Amino acid sequence: MTNNFDYDVLVIGAGPGGYHAAIRASQLGLKTACVERGAVGGVCLNIGCIPTKALLHAAETMQASKHAAEFGLTFSGQALDIARLNGWKDSIVKKLTGGVSGLFKANKVTLLTGQASFVDDHTVQVGDKTYTAANIIIATGSDPAKLPGLEVDQQQIVDSTGALVMPDPVPARMLCVGGGVIGFEFAQVYNNLGSQVKIIEFLPSVIPGADADAVKEFSKIMSRQGIEIVTQMKANRAEKKSDGVHVELENVKTGEKTTEVFDRVLVAVGRRPRTDGLNPEQAGVTVTERGFIPADKQQRTNVPHIFSIGDVAGNPMLAHKAMKEGLVAAEVIAGKPAEQDAVAIPGVVYTNPELAWVGLTEAEAQEKGYEVKTGVFPMSASGRAMTLQATEGFVKMVVEKDTDLLLGVHIVAPHASDMLAEAGLALEMAATATDISLTIHAHPTLGESILEAAEASHKQAIHIVNR
Amino acid sequence: GRPVVPAAPSVRRLAREIGIDIHAVHGTGIAGRISEEDVRRTAGTPSVQ
Repeated sequence: MTNNFDYDVLVIGAGPGGYHAAIRASQLGLKTACVERGAVGGVCLNIGCIPTKALLHAAETMQASKHAAEFGLTFSGQALDIARLNGWKDSIVKKLTGGVSGLFKANKVTLLTGQASFVDDHTVQVGDKTYTAANIIIATGSDPAKLPGLEVDQQQIVDSTGALVMPDPVPARMLCVGGGVIGFEFAQVYNNLGSQVKIIEFLPSVIPGADADAVKEFSKIMSRQGIEIVTQMKANRAEKKSDGVHVELENVKTGEKTTEVFDRVLVAVGRRPRTDGLNPEQAGVTVTERGFIPADKQQRTNVPHIFSIGDVAGNPMLAHKAMKEGLVAAEVIAGKPAEQDAVAIPGVVYTNPELAWVGLTEAEAQEKGYEVKTGVFPMSASGRAMTLQATEGFVKMVVEKDTDLLLGVHIVAPHASDMLAEAGLALEMAATATDISLTIHAHPTLGESILEAAEASHKQAIHIVNR
Repeated sequence: GRPVVPAAPSVRRLAREIGIDIHAVHGTGIAGRISEEDVRRTAGTPSVQ
């Protein structure tokens, strides 16, 4: 690398994408700095993946303790210390963000604190100092999208950040505006902790992008747990009154309007790329109308030595996608032949049961012109699932008819996110359903359901009647 | 062509390393899967395009 610059690589943002890029760049011998204006770890560690999963685990444990009565385990009274719950969640965040700082030190990545702003295509201002770099990686992430008429106060009307702080007492009536991953995860947390929860979704279906059969099964289970799901409904405005937040809801199809009262309203209608204060135009970097900084397969922007990764680069806005893109950008800068060439990026809703998928849905496969066959294995036929009181859901496999190549796997089950790893590897390795069915899976495990779904695609499953 | 390239991640990386477009490689494996050998053979073949 040329030595005229302060750094070989300057990464803007220390979220999942940014810290992966910075650490890999340093591992490859590049002099690297990472700029962060907030807390290291970014959204995922501080106000995203990690704290939501902590809340989900706590809420699920509460539910599980109730189901334990089935096998004779009862508790005399159940109490939830909300302050302690919030504190436990915060302690996990602190431990993990501290871990990232430690990894920066161990890998000799310089952490620069402050708002980064482009001066030119090789110069970035951080606070009152400027730094030059041969290569710059933009990893500025995203923020919750706003909804006109529902102004977030982080108390009664919250976005995902505000929803992470569980109020005491738990709100009696909760509205989730947006039936996506974030909406459902918070819906279940609040539902399990005692709120009466309603989810409204503007589109005809919740969890857009997931397989229709899986979404149907998932919605059925969520409804059975007590979460009210209404599609083709929007929230026009909210008014805070003494008895709660009055929300005007509108049926998108009929135009019919009703007003309902809630104690807490979550606005979870998507996320927007974050470029405020960055001044990418100073470097000649193209920003789309919607605020994204697009990149090619090597994560290069229109300016070849400036890279864009993660949420700011485009959808899907997922931590593991950002991490991969961070590694690709760093390796490309180091002269390696890296490329974002993933066959599939897994998606997960971390409710109980989880909804998890990787690869093509049945509908997507058909749209792409594949002739498909499917194999479905219900969790109710899984011995392991019975021993775990987890018999709801299924594994659905989408397979190309003639070649037997695996195209997609869709799971509704507890630990679906972990079961999904096998399916992800199978897709990347171009496995056939036969490869999966010939692989010995440990018995009894939930993962066996993947094997049986593969067998079912050949109409040869053992534990169910094949039709 | 096929949106899913039937080749393992390491084989796809090998193709990039030796400057071969993986989409141009004929896979000789089951279901048209592309092996390391397929990539190396393609690299050794003069381009006809």
